[in-house]
Amino acid sequence: MSSHRRRRSIFDLIDEYIEEMESLTEELMPIKQPSWNISTRTIEPLCNVFITHDEVIVTADLPFSDPDSVTAEPIDKRTLEIRAKIKRRICCGDLGITHQKGEFSTFNCQTHIPVPVDMDKKKVKFRKGILEVHLPRKKGYEIKIK
Amino acid sequence: MAVSINFVEKKSIPSEVTMLCGFPDVGLVGVLASSHVISELKLDEMAYVDSDLLPPIVVLHEGLPRAPMRIMGNNNLLVTIAETAIPAVGVQRLMRSFVDWAKSKNVKTLIPIGGIPVQNRQDIEEPKVFGTGSNLDMIKLLDQKGTSVLKEGFMVGPQALIMRYSAERNIPAIALLAQSFYNYPDPEAAAAALKQLANITGIKVDVSKLFEKGEEIRLRAKDVMKRTQRELNKMNKEQEYDLPLYV
Repeated sequence: MSSHRRRRSIFDLIDEYIEEMESLTEELMPIKQPSWNISTRTIEPLCNVFITHDEVIVTADLPFSDPDSVTAEPIDKRTLEIRAKIKRRICCGDLGITHQKGEFSTFNCQTHIPVPVDMDKKKVKFRKGILEVHLPRKKGYEIKIK
Repeated sequence: MAVSINFVEKKSIPSEVTMLCGFPDVGLVGVLASSHVISELKLDEMAYVDSDLLPPIVVLHEGLPRAPMRIMGNNNLLVTIAETAIPAVGVQRLMRSFVDWAKSKNVKTLIPIGGIPVQNRQDIEEPKVFGTGSNLDMIKLLDQKGTSVLKEGFMVGPQALIMRYSAERNIPAIALLAQSFYNYPDPEAAAAALKQLANITGIKVDVSKLFEKGEEIRLRAKDVMKRTQRELNKMNKEQEYDLPLYV
């Protein structure tokens, strides 16, 4: 073995630094959970947040849900919880889960709202299995144009 | 570093046939359309893609391991299916190899099927299908068949790359893009694309199951949709909304 170690280039050092950062990030990230939970009998639906000039629109895809059971309630100033009962029996096998047994009865997810909104003025629509929640944005201040 | 992309052929591949491509994209339109065609026409596995660019997964069907990206078919038709999101970092190399393989097999026409995201999708009862062609003959064909041609704008993702590489390699190709949800599985859009496919190519499949099983499909496809959305974000898919530049 050579007694001389090859001097590492700046690119090697950058690569090592990036690798170290990635591994640290992985360690800090919580372990990813599946989108379903047999013990709570819940399925996490697909959910999205769109920010427009004057409102935030939260949507969720809730197939098989009972329209009368759909709720979208704030749990704090920046978090909306969506729940809906599933109107037919959905077993693990229906979702292609063959290594566990169980049933699902509810959709449930919590969505972070990235900008301030007025939760009390929310408007909710539910059509074709898709929930749409409109939340007016709070205006903090106004810049006057002379 | 060169990354290997191998097409492992399990059966003799017919030449001069049409090839449908359903890669994960907005609304999973292409994947849902392709898997529906495979199921309705009972197509066999002809080949699969083995590459380090794909995630280290196998898909189990009837207990047997399968590659996530496969080419199904019979003597008259080939259909690609990808059952996992294609990593943004490898999409160009994978699609380039894919079109090269199609060229080597003398594929007659490549037809990528996908979605075109529209903000008011919920208000649309029957999604409209738009087309693009890899050459003027294909554009003329779309016109003759009454398919609206996307004349300007941006395409982003696997379908876009198939069109670009097909044009470069002189393979006739038509992309069929149905109005769809951006981020929710859209079986109705897949049905609309398949109806337009029948109109253009004569390849007919009954699409009624896509409506009857719509809710079930949406539920089962949601995790693939979520992963696809992450990869589409990395590809800057939202650029399809950008206004085209005219000078």
